[in-house]
Amino acid sequence: MSKELIQEQLELEEIIMEKQEIGIKRYLTQITDTINFEFKRTGKTFIIMLIVYFAIFSLNLLIYELQEAAGVELPEETINYIEGYFGFFGLLIIISTATFGGSIIAEDFQKQTGNLLFPKISKSRLLIGRVISRYALNAILIIFYYILVAIITNYKYGELPDTLIDSMGWALFYTFMLFTFVIFMSSINKSKSAAIIVSILLFLIGFNIIEMVLMVTRTGIEPLFIPTYYENIIEASLDMPDPRFEEANFGPHGDDVKFKRWLTPSTSGAFIGMSLFSVLLLIAAFFFYKRRQSKNE
Amino acid sequence: MDNNEDILIRFNRLTKKFGNFYAVSNINLEIKRGEIVGFLGPNGAGKTTTMKMMAYLLKPTDGEIWIRNNGKLEKLTLKNRDYLLDNVGFLIEIPAFYSDRTPRQILSYFANLKGYPRKKVKNRVAEVVEMFGLSEWLNKKIKTFSKGMRQKIGICSAIVHDPDIVVLDEPQTGLDPKARKDVREFILKLKQMGRTIFLSSHLLYEISEIADKIAIINQGKLIAFDTLDNLELKASKSVINFELYDTSKYDLADLLVRLNKIIIPLTGIEGDSTNKVGFNENSKIFEVPFNGVPKNQLKIHKALFKNNFDVLEFSVPKANLLESLFIDLIDDSSKKIKSDENEIIIRGN
Repeated sequence: MSKELIQEQLELEEIIMEKQEIGIKRYLTQITDTINFEFKRTGKTFIIMLIVYFAIFSLNLLIYELQEAAGVELPEETINYIEGYFGFFGLLIIISTATFGGSIIAEDFQKQTGNLLFPKISKSRLLIGRVISRYALNAILIIFYYILVAIITNYKYGELPDTLIDSMGWALFYTFMLFTFVIFMSSINKSKSAAIIVSILLFLIGFNIIEMVLMVTRTGIEPLFIPTYYENIIEASLDMPDPRFEEANFGPHGDDVKFKRWLTPSTSGAFIGMSLFSVLLLIAAFFFYKRRQSKNE
Repeated sequence: MDNNEDILIRFNRLTKKFGNFYAVSNINLEIKRGEIVGFLGPNGAGKTTTMKMMAYLLKPTDGEIWIRNNGKLEKLTLKNRDYLLDNVGFLIEIPAFYSDRTPRQILSYFANLKGYPRKKVKNRVAEVVEMFGLSEWLNKKIKTFSKGMRQKIGICSAIVHDPDIVVLDEPQTGLDPKARKDVREFILKLKQMGRTIFLSSHLLYEISEIADKIAIINQGKLIAFDTLDNLELKASKSVINFELYDTSKYDLADLLVRLNKIIIPLTGIEGDSTNKVGFNENSKIFEVPFNGVPKNQLKIHKALFKNNFDVLEFSVPKANLLESLFIDLIDDSSKKIKSDENEIIIRGN
């Protein structure tokens, strides 16, 4: 046998030996490979979103700077100054979450890319890899925003409240919960555009209407079943209000009619509520995903 | 069960039911090492369902799929699917790509998913793309590719992890003749490399050109599985095409009468109304049905020369034969299935 043949044979055997590594190792490497691939695929979207986050931060900063230039003093408390940066933050989270999550399932059915992906990888591993990678990118955006806020606050006040970290933690948790909602939408909608649009409409309009109805009907029920209600804890956790609701007089009935408005969930309520939402929505999304796969095939 | 080392795939009573509808019914099939098996059937016959069961994308309602990997033929289950399917490359239905990615990125991802040794992935990707002559496109975005090029990359994705078995579902559908030829040649190249290929297609010519064996499925049932030559013998039916030099010098009606008189007694077919010489005005080709036996083919050939016909071309085109066999077998099986159903209804009543 020639040297070349022996070398070729050895290489072939090596390939076969290495290929045999299956089971949990294959499971994990497929997930990490998917994470890497998704990072590359969504890189451009990430850069665009990074610019959007920076633009919104700059806009808030500009407003403060213009106010200062006009002689209006900055808020006395650092917390109040930081709160000024949360005006569009909820909207930013919704947009980036919908952008990263909308295509997560629907895209493979819409573009038929699933024909190539399966059976090279199972649905569950693909979904886990995608959820991790896209949530990670979303989380980086959130952390980036907080870092910008922290830098400018520290520059202006020379100190940072301890609760800023709590707020960031809640923001990351809330983003994950919204993300699972968008994944669920992606599992039941035919196209990624539909998943994105329906999610944004529900977050911005649908859930707010339900919250308004609850308030106006004066049921007094804390809207823990409304996903967007949990956004309030991001800002509230900087300085938790007590009580967590306020009573306001407004509307055509005059001052004698009081409406109870919930300001924020409690920390335990938020933790349990968002955990439940996340788990249930992910399970439901996976169930529809699996079902959709069979139906399509 | 493993009594033949050459068997790479075995379907044993393979069945898939959707509600009360049998998409695939009791299929038994064995594919041996190095074979190209063409899987034919009309739309909705169960071809893609069978391939998807093999890919474990659909679970069989009944029956088993056995696949050989590392020398051992094993039953495909949820537990061992990663291991067994590592030895199979699939291209099921039309491939669609993330169009802003390059072949290198996509194929590397797929090779990694299938556990190909990481340090060899880069070279392997370059190697498979080179097989299709697409090396210069390796780092270009897929959105700039033609349909044929995308299909080729789809086939590359099926073989990038170097499997022994390649399953291709309609790989030439929608391609122009040049791309079809490229794919055909590539499949033959894979066979030369020792790969076993299970290939479905509507394009009978493509199948007849490359397949060692033909499996025909109709309404979920396997109605034929053999070499084309054996199917031809079993059907006792084939077609000879021949062309004469300058047919314009003949009176066509007289010529056909004369040809019928000389040839028909030699066709080996009796009492069939279709048993007569036909003439295609456009191609100027004469068509003679015969029983497919080489001896009869030779007799007809000699008779033409003996009667001083200037024969320019004389052949038994496999594509026409396959088309004729396919239509006959499908018609027969459809009639049989219908009569079985009627019998069941009558018995039920």
